[in-house]
Amino acid sequence: MVNPILLIVIPLGLAFVVPLFRFISKKIEKFIPFFALLANLIISLTLFPHVLEKPIHVSIGGFLPPLGINLVAGPLGILFAMLIALVGFLVSIYAFAYIKEKDQEKYHILYLLLLTGATGVVLTGDIFNLFVFFEILCISSYSLVAYFGDKPGIESAVKYLIQGAVGSSLVLIGIGLLYGQFGTLNMADIASNIHSVHSISVFIPLVLLITGFGVEAAIFPLNAWLPDAHSSAPSSISAILSGIAIEVGLYAIVRVVFTLFGASSILTFLLFLGVITLLIGELCAFNQENIKRMLAYSSIGQIGLIVFALSIGSLSGINGGLFQLVSHTLSKALLFLAAGYMIFRSGSMNISSFEGMGKKMPYTSFAFTIGAFSIVGLPPFIGFPGKFMILKAALFEQDILFTILVFLILLATIIEGAYFFRVVQTIYFKGEKSTPGQEREIAPLSVLIPVFIFVGLIVVIGIYPKLITEILESSASELLNRADYIKNILP
Amino acid sequence: MNFLSEYIYYIGAFSLIFIGLFIVLAKKNLIKVIIGLSIVDTGINLFLITLGYIRGGTAPVFSKPGLKAENMVDPVPQALVLTAIVIGVAVLALALTLAIKLYKHYGTLNLRKIKEQKW
Amino acid sequence: MRKLISLILLVIIAGGIVLSLKEIPFGISKIKIGDYYIKKGIEETGATNIVTSVVVSYRGFDTLGEITILFTAAIGLSAVLGTYRKRKAGEKVEPPSFIVKTGCRFLFPILLLVGAYIFIHGHLTPGGGFQGGAIIASAFLLMYLGCEGKRINENTSIVVEVLGALTFIVLGIIGLTIGKDFLFNFLPKGEPNTLLSAGIIPVIYIAIGFKVGSELAGIIDHLIEKNQ
Repeated sequence: MVNPILLIVIPLGLAFVVPLFRFISKKIEKFIPFFALLANLIISLTLFPHVLEKPIHVSIGGFLPPLGINLVAGPLGILFAMLIALVGFLVSIYAFAYIKEKDQEKYHILYLLLLTGATGVVLTGDIFNLFVFFEILCISSYSLVAYFGDKPGIESAVKYLIQGAVGSSLVLIGIGLLYGQFGTLNMADIASNIHSVHSISVFIPLVLLITGFGVEAAIFPLNAWLPDAHSSAPSSISAILSGIAIEVGLYAIVRVVFTLFGASSILTFLLFLGVITLLIGELCAFNQENIKRMLAYSSIGQIGLIVFALSIGSLSGINGGLFQLVSHTLSKALLFLAAGYMIFRSGSMNISSFEGMGKKMPYTSFAFTIGAFSIVGLPPFIGFPGKFMILKAALFEQDILFTILVFLILLATIIEGAYFFRVVQTIYFKGEKSTPGQEREIAPLSVLIPVFIFVGLIVVIGIYPKLITEILESSASELLNRADYIKNILP
Repeated sequence: MNFLSEYIYYIGAFSLIFIGLFIVLAKKNLIKVIIGLSIVDTGINLFLITLGYIRGGTAPVFSKPGLKAENMVDPVPQALVLTAIVIGVAVLALALTLAIKLYKHYGTLNLRKIKEQKW
Repeated sequence: MRKLISLILLVIIAGGIVLSLKEIPFGISKIKIGDYYIKKGIEETGATNIVTSVVVSYRGFDTLGEITILFTAAIGLSAVLGTYRKRKAGEKVEPPSFIVKTGCRFLFPILLLVGAYIFIHGHLTPGGGFQGGAIIASAFLLMYLGCEGKRINENTSIVVEVLGALTFIVLGIIGLTIGKDFLFNFLPKGEPNTLLSAGIIPVIYIAIGFKVGSELAGIIDHLIEKNQ
């Protein structure tokens, strides 16, 4: 059995090697992320069956927890690691043709480091180590947002950096308070000492940690940076930020709330935050003229929905939330990639400039349409089972509160449908009838291949959701069975 | 008085943190905001160090024989601070770089005047 | 108005933190794993500086993350600032005075020596790779102040940086193959309080020293503005 540490070490080592390729050949460097993430994908797939039986624990440096740092490759961690490797791998193919500006070398290093940070966050079992990897993720995404160095990019990177830095400071204070009380940094060890969050000295670190990670997860009211950053980053990075970075922030929150604190009493609060985030995201998205801003706001909305589902707190609720998370990652990455190429061709981010794209770029438009339908939640795409599971779990609670919230969610879905159909309509049915001067432009293969793999995944999992429900169910039960998590690490 | 002598280090550390956070929230100039972030970092580092302190303790280095383990302060916060300092430096360097670029584009560092991206 | 709102917000947070600090009295031994590190640290890692044994051995993975963060920031910084500006020797720079020039030339080798001393003795004395690296970088800062027109060689600094980081990772992987754990301390621990002790700790710290030194020097180099 392979050691899960390789999931972090291989991409990290390769990221360090990239600068040396300038002495050999400039052409190799763009293939490095491709190979690193391919390796990660293979490793996480081989670990997958082992993890379903029993979570794998690895200590580092030969010291058992709580003395040393340990990695916990449970179903949830491996699910995220697989998702990160898969999306990262496909987007790295897209970047072959897409990234041409400036020093490509730096883009590829930062890209690889971003994904390494994300993998580290989801695998580590130590709260301070989680913070360190979280910072790798944050710092590389600040730089990647500003990668083009143009006006909007720099401005949104500044906003992102200031808010992110304040968030990380809050996280660090929270970790300090926890260490002061319990004298340990291992998550299982801290968790075994926390029996209730009702005492104020435990509640304050919980609030600080949720707020700090909430900045990256873009939960209302901490999401002011997101639309700017996601719309002005290169499209391949927008796909990663929307598909991976927010989800990893969410993972950190979920890990802290469920495993570290076992805080079921705060879930009601998160429930409302989730619905508010959903409504605000969708309402703002409705008004956007800029396609990437619209997608970014739609991400906020989707995150709200996922937070809502996870905070239902029942097995089926968490299950639905994780399904929606997977579906959002795949669909939103597809949307950003497809939209990115259309923007590249039309030269404008305005939705009206997409008129007639359906004829000019048939394949990319088709993929965009699939992504849009999937996000809205139409069958037979992956978005449908996700939303369905969430609504079922919410109605199962049989509470008047949940009925109202479900009504609000359905309202948000209608808004979502409205603005996505508007874009689809613009792409296919608007614009002058095929002027003879405009020939069809087929996107290069390095764009079409990842886009159509995403389309394939969305359709296949949408038709046959059983493919991933097994790992989702064991992930959900990992989150709910806090005692098992502690017992596994500290025998 | 007793309270003050018990908690003076915590009070100092958290005063720095809150002064820094106030600067970040209230000031308009990007450089001042970055200074605020740096003050927050300093405050947090002091707080972490304070956590591990033991009255009359010595540094956890067995540099000469005769040093007793009981008198030594907690080494873990010191290790954490080492990491936190490096993270602070990294964020600071990147923030200053962005400030340079921002000034080149807009000719000002006033964050209220830089509003091309809006809700 | 904005100031008022932020003040109110901060007062609320401060109140919460003060309440939670009551559980953490000051200056009293309440340490759990820290206590273990002090008592068993020398025996288990061979380093007399317990902070070093925590940083490099017990929590070595954090340190790997830490050098990655510095690397990320350095790369991000040069990506944002754009292409490397090649300043011609002495271009539009006011020449430093004689005292600054002589002082910098005098201090430069001494600072390098102090930096190297600090990171080589990281496992014995209060010091280590980051501190030594920072001192070395300050030597390069002095070079920019005092010796106009001199710059560090970008390629050399990158090679040093990469080799430093790779040493860390390769040692970790050797530990993984020999001792089944990443970063396992596979070299003999030796006699405590001697230079050649503590297994891989000094090796890692020397690698970090070189890496941090060249990286910070590179950051300084990138941040020097063209004087126009």
